[in-house]
Amino acid sequence: MSSPTISQATGLRHRAEIEAGSLPPLLVQAEQLAGSVLLGEHGRRRAGMGDDFWQYRPAQPGDSRNLIDHRRSARGDQQFIREREWQIAQTVHVWVDQGGSMRFASKPDLPQKIDRARKLALAASILMVRGGERVGLTGTSLPPRSGNMQILRMAEALSLEDNADYAPPEHHSMIPHARGLFISDFLGPFDELQLALGKAADRGLRGVLLQVLDPSEEGFPFTGRTLFESVSGGLRHETLKASALRDRYLERLAERRDALENLCRATGWRLGLHHTGDSAQAALLWLYHALERTK
Amino acid sequence: MTMLAGIGFTTPWLLLGLLALPILWLLLRAVPPAPVRRVFPAVTLLLGLSDDESLSDRTPWWLLLLRMLAVAAAIIGLSGPVLNPAPVTTGSGPLLVVLDASWAGADGWKKTNEQITAKLNEAGRAGRTVALLRLTAPEPLQFQSADAWRKRIAGLLPQPWQPNPDQITASMDQLTAVDHGFDTLWFSDGLDYSNRDQLTSVLRARGKVQVYQTTTNRLGLLPAQFADGAIELSVIRSHTIPEQQVTVLAQGVDPGGTMRMLASATVDFTTGADKASAKLILPSELRARIGRFELQRIRSAGAVALTDDSLRRREVALISSQTDNEGLVLLSPMHYLRQALQPTAELFEGGLSDLLPANPDVIILADVARLAQNEEEELTEWVEKGGMLLRFAGPRLAASDISRNEEHPLMPVRLRSGGRSLGGAMSWGEPKTLAPFQQDSPFYGLTIPQEVTVSSQVVAQPDPSLAERVIAELGDGTPLVTRKALGQGQVVLFHVTANAEWTSLPLSGLFVEMLERLAVSTAAKPPRADELEGTVWTPISVLDGFGRLGEAGTLSGVDGPDLMEASAGPNLRPGLYDSGSRKLARNVLREGDQLQPASWPSDVPVISSAAAPERALGGMLISLALVLLALDVAASLAVSGLIHLSRTAALVLGLTTAGWVCLPAHHAQAQQGADLLGLSSELALAHVLTGNDQVDAIAYDGLRGLSNTLLFRTSIEPSIPVGVDLEQDELAFYPLLYWPITPDQPRPSAAAYARLNAYLRTGGMIVFDTRDANLVGSGASSANARKLQQLARSLDVPPLEPIPADHVLTRAFYLLQDFPGRHQRGELWVEAAPADAEHIEGMPFRNLNDGVTPVVIGGNDWGAAWAVDDNGRPLLPVGRGFAGERQRELAYRFGVNLVMHVLTGNYKSDQVHVPALLDRLGQ
Repeated sequence: MSSPTISQATGLRHRAEIEAGSLPPLLVQAEQLAGSVLLGEHGRRRAGMGDDFWQYRPAQPGDSRNLIDHRRSARGDQQFIREREWQIAQTVHVWVDQGGSMRFASKPDLPQKIDRARKLALAASILMVRGGERVGLTGTSLPPRSGNMQILRMAEALSLEDNADYAPPEHHSMIPHARGLFISDFLGPFDELQLALGKAADRGLRGVLLQVLDPSEEGFPFTGRTLFESVSGGLRHETLKASALRDRYLERLAERRDALENLCRATGWRLGLHHTGDSAQAALLWLYHALERTK
Repeated sequence: MTMLAGIGFTTPWLLLGLLALPILWLLLRAVPPAPVRRVFPAVTLLLGLSDDESLSDRTPWWLLLLRMLAVAAAIIGLSGPVLNPAPVTTGSGPLLVVLDASWAGADGWKKTNEQITAKLNEAGRAGRTVALLRLTAPEPLQFQSADAWRKRIAGLLPQPWQPNPDQITASMDQLTAVDHGFDTLWFSDGLDYSNRDQLTSVLRARGKVQVYQTTTNRLGLLPAQFADGAIELSVIRSHTIPEQQVTVLAQGVDPGGTMRMLASATVDFTTGADKASAKLILPSELRARIGRFELQRIRSAGAVALTDDSLRRREVALISSQTDNEGLVLLSPMHYLRQALQPTAELFEGGLSDLLPANPDVIILADVARLAQNEEEELTEWVEKGGMLLRFAGPRLAASDISRNEEHPLMPVRLRSGGRSLGGAMSWGEPKTLAPFQQDSPFYGLTIPQEVTVSSQVVAQPDPSLAERVIAELGDGTPLVTRKALGQGQVVLFHVTANAEWTSLPLSGLFVEMLERLAVSTAAKPPRADELEGTVWTPISVLDGFGRLGEAGTLSGVDGPDLMEASAGPNLRPGLYDSGSRKLARNVLREGDQLQPASWPSDVPVISSAAAPERALGGMLISLALVLLALDVAASLAVSGLIHLSRTAALVLGLTTAGWVCLPAHHAQAQQGADLLGLSSELALAHVLTGNDQVDAIAYDGLRGLSNTLLFRTSIEPSIPVGVDLEQDELAFYPLLYWPITPDQPRPSAAAYARLNAYLRTGGMIVFDTRDANLVGSGASSANARKLQQLARSLDVPPLEPIPADHVLTRAFYLLQDFPGRHQRGELWVEAAPADAEHIEGMPFRNLNDGVTPVVIGGNDWGAAWAVDDNGRPLLPVGRGFAGERQRELAYRFGVNLVMHVLTGNYKSDQVHVPALLDRLGQ
């Protein structure tokens, strides 16, 4: 009786260890990245700042002694507790493309697109949580919450992988008038994205699209007879002379970007571009400011 | 078979396949390389794009060339190319096969035999009759069917000589006796000899002549010369062209009686030289053992040089009665003997009993009359075994009564008392001269100088056997030199002195020659022919054509001059010859011989048989094709981007470099034994390095802790402990070796065990620590205990017992009853007490071992209990709480007792007597 329970428990523990193994590096990287951004113009809304005084109220049984405001209490015999202003935090929905197309790096010394995307998403989340916002994923898997525990949950949820080559944006259960952060390569079907953004705009959601591309996707440095495959091998295209395709490919890429721009303009979103060969810090700064401005 | 520039093809029509190569070229050109597969997520953007240019990519020209070469090689390889194909001789009519059959061809005789067999088969198929003629042993020609000859070929052997003019003449006689024409196949050994041209012209007059001849360089070894203390070995060769190195082996009988190689020398030929020599310097003892020299890996009589007495310097023992005579040198008989023998013999001087065991060839007694009884017996025994005793008369011999009434075994004749004087002031007669030597005398043929006279001598008594024993006499017929055989040896008496007192003989050259003839001394160089005039030499063993020595059997004797001068032949076979006590070697080649390569008239076809044997090239070409195809696979992969040449190369390079770098990693052996002086000036505890770093570190720290304890508590002040590598380090400096056992430590080498045993015998102590608590001795169940058994098997360990309660270790410094380390219960084993140790009434303990136990075996892991870190704090926990500290303290006490015991020995054991001593002092 006891042995299956134990083996189940140990199996769970084992899997948990493996899962947790990938979390700390992502967290640490994201924390480091977030730590490099100084919160200058954005006001802190953390507890204990003292600016946003709301009221004194008499202490009641059950209140922590830390909360007693001694300066106020010393004026009389009653002990008072200082209450802060109830602030309504912003809600941010994050969506990171976990599809197969993101698991790609053209060179071994480049990070995969998905790694960069996760890192940026988590770092931005950390910054926003520090700023007092509520952060969550789109969809129902992780509703927006504040607090540091949410960062851990985010990291865990972001570590999942999707088997499909091109994952469509998740657009369910978005809170009206919240913010959105969608990170993907946006190489998948365009109408899905159009649908998601349209739905978001309907709900008054505004935000940022960040397109993460590999340098080879921007430069197309291929020659000779080549068989191009998607990451899972589902899509193929064979050419006898890859170099001849370059110009037309770049044209199509620019078209896709134009379409994205138009879509953003129509819905009030902002579009950013990031290459995995570039520094993640610049992208994070841009993200931070872009999110700030979309308020 | 089709011939093409020295290459023949067995199936030439296959070469037509080469015509297909251009078509193949066009075909291969059109096939594009395989596509490169690339993962590319943006493939969605590419979908629907079509290629503008639908031209196929072309295979690179070098890849095409590679494939062409591979196919061409395969085609040519399959068509069966053969390098140097054997030409097929055709002909009809009788065939004469002429063989040189001399020693020169013996080396390749097997191959020659095969060729002859092949030719006989051919002739048999063509229905030709065949006759065979060996020039070294001509016989009447018999034209028979080839099959009949084929059976007899195995019996044809080369002779150890070259065809000499007589044999050539005989051969030509045999040829002229044949009345019909014939073709000739001449298997030549490649050396020239006289009258060969005449034979050639006779043969050409009868039909076609074809010569089979190898182009190999013929080598011959000249007889070894002994000059200036070195053996000179000369090798001659027939061709002067290449630089060459030849090894000459000296074979002989070793002290065990088996034939073996005793020495070797290398002879270097420079280009253009047909003769080269090397010098071999050997001690005379070894030199005397050499029986033959031969060229390495050449089986031929010409490559063998037999040795005879000429290499041996006879060992001569000189014994005179006046051992410590301080008289004039010129009066000493030894002086003349020394002068005569020094250049050619090894001389020993001294007492007879000292020299006999050295077993000299000759013992010379100069005017020695009496010998001690046992000396006489030994000397007789020595002569009977083949020794030669040479005696000279003198005043003492004349005055003694030896061999007076009856013949002494060590004297050839009986002597009259006193002797006689001739031509003195008081006598009438003139000094006598020597009579010419008789024919049966060994001195026969020597010229007698007129000035040699004899003025005094001892005189032989007339006996029936006297006449046959005289080998030299005076003009009046009185014996001057007499000889008798004794066993296998002989006794010779000169009836005069060895100095010039009685005769002028020692002053003349005749004296030296007589000694030579008596084989007392043998000249270093072989005797000249005229020196051998009148001698007959019988063969003992003779060489065959391959250089093997065989019994001579019933071969007849050879005249001395012939032996030296005549050329070898059936009547004078190379080998060892014997005359009396002398031995001479007759070799195939003599000093001054040269080897001339045979030259043939220009219209006689010479087929060099051994130079370029037939070689099938098919296999080589097909493997070349396979290699090319393998290259093609690699190259195709590289072209289509499936493997990266640079990466592969980098990998291979990296592996190679890694191998390089790893190699000298073992150089960094610490030089521990360097500071030996420091070690000898201070006491240091030592532990054996086990190879396990952790164990070694703990042992080191443990001994450091123990050293500190000793320093603080006792007068022993050890220096820093030392880790000892048993294979390299000297053990003598360390009173105590702490040896922790690990299951995987290597067994020391035999040399290390020898040192360990020496260490144990000279008072060292080894503390074996199996570190496994109490498992020692109880069936050796732990891996460490088994390892200990393995390690100690080769050690000189006395019988052991569990430590008795009254052992010195229990009270060498502290009083202890148990000996804990990190473990507490383990038993301690020490050398067993002697069986007669008894407990004396009134004494607290027995009077035990009068020494230090060489080994202490336990398993309590003391090293760990003693171990301290750099700051002197305990390194490892022992036990629990205060009890643990107590246990550590006891471990230290045990260590102190151990070192005390090994340094003071049985001192504490002797304390047994202290009460008695105090008692006495008190009184």
